[in-house]
Amino acid sequence: MNKSKLGIIGLGVVIGLLLVYIVWQLTSQNYTYQGSLIDPPVEAKDFELTDQDGDIFRLSDQRGKVILIFFGYTHCPDVCPVTLSEFKQIKSQLREDAEKVEFIFITVDPERDTVDTLGDYVSIFDPDFIALTGERDELIEVWSDYGVYQARQEVTGAGGYLVDHTARVYAVDMDGNWRLTYPFGMEREKIYQDIRHLVQEG
Amino acid sequence: MKTNNKFRPYLIRLGIVFGLSVLLVVAFNEIVYLFQKSEYDRAPKTIKLVIPEGTADQIESGIDVESIPEELVFVIGDTLEVENLDQVSHQLGPIWVPPNSTGSLVMERANNYAYSCSFQTSRYLGLDVREPTTLRTRLIGLGFAAPTLTALLFLYSLLVFPIDKKTKSDEMKNKPVSSKTI
Repeated sequence: MNKSKLGIIGLGVVIGLLLVYIVWQLTSQNYTYQGSLIDPPVEAKDFELTDQDGDIFRLSDQRGKVILIFFGYTHCPDVCPVTLSEFKQIKSQLREDAEKVEFIFITVDPERDTVDTLGDYVSIFDPDFIALTGERDELIEVWSDYGVYQARQEVTGAGGYLVDHTARVYAVDMDGNWRLTYPFGMEREKIYQDIRHLVQEG
Repeated sequence: MKTNNKFRPYLIRLGIVFGLSVLLVVAFNEIVYLFQKSEYDRAPKTIKLVIPEGTADQIESGIDVESIPEELVFVIGDTLEVENLDQVSHQLGPIWVPPNSTGSLVMERANNYAYSCSFQTSRYLGLDVREPTTLRTRLIGLGFAAPTLTALLFLYSLLVFPIDKKTKSDEMKNKPVSSKTI
């Protein structure tokens, strides 16, 4: 093979690699988030609550991880178990990237959701999920910061009462910013794709 | 080749009927489209809403925020962008916006939603997401209607104007032999 042929092949390889790089750059820059995007990102309000092991949990300590936050309660008959099941599936889809994502469940029913109750509840879905509670006053502040609605609804029957509550999922990026929110019913696959992108972007 | 000759008049008829059907469907579709066309038969775009400063206080006092309509109509693919200039977070159904930021969401499904909303005195806001009638949807309509109309017109034409089964070769065969022998 003479020098000119080698030169042409080399040039072809260089051009090919350049094209791959350009396409990769274009596709990575053009990713469109499928959740409700918060732009510009705003620093997520920090909070300090108690986790299912009785330890103090601070949101600001989680920098470097993508956080998915959901507000619910353990006696919830519908939305909460569905959302936590979706969290479990998203975690499984993320595989090794799951280490960079924290799944958090914050109670809207602190009277019934004790540390032990929360621990038992989340471990049904995944023992690595973090369940948080606190004094009602502490939680009211967090609910307010995150625009969470919650109202006790008395029902007849052995189950006691229900709690109407916001069913939104909040995604906080690795820099501690509110980046995305998802209404209840958003397809799990879309949430997974967004979270995977947030992890890769981080 | 004989078989081809046999079917040729049918194929020609089918071709003519198909062309006619396409023309009829296009004409009918376009006339209906012209009459029914609305402002929502358009390409997707970004629709921006601004929540002015002091909105939460206004709502608390029972005063309507005039700049925000109670009903919003979108077409699939529209992006709803909500800019929050207020000092507290607000929500518009699927969109939650912290203070001094913007929340946006692409409307992906045609439906009629009634969402809870923190910047309406009624606390509810209607979102109507429609599928726009675009060139693509009209072409899909053509795709469904033209073959059906072709089949119907073709069968009807066969009844009204039957194809003469005699082909040229048949005619040659039937020519009187006597003329050659004389």
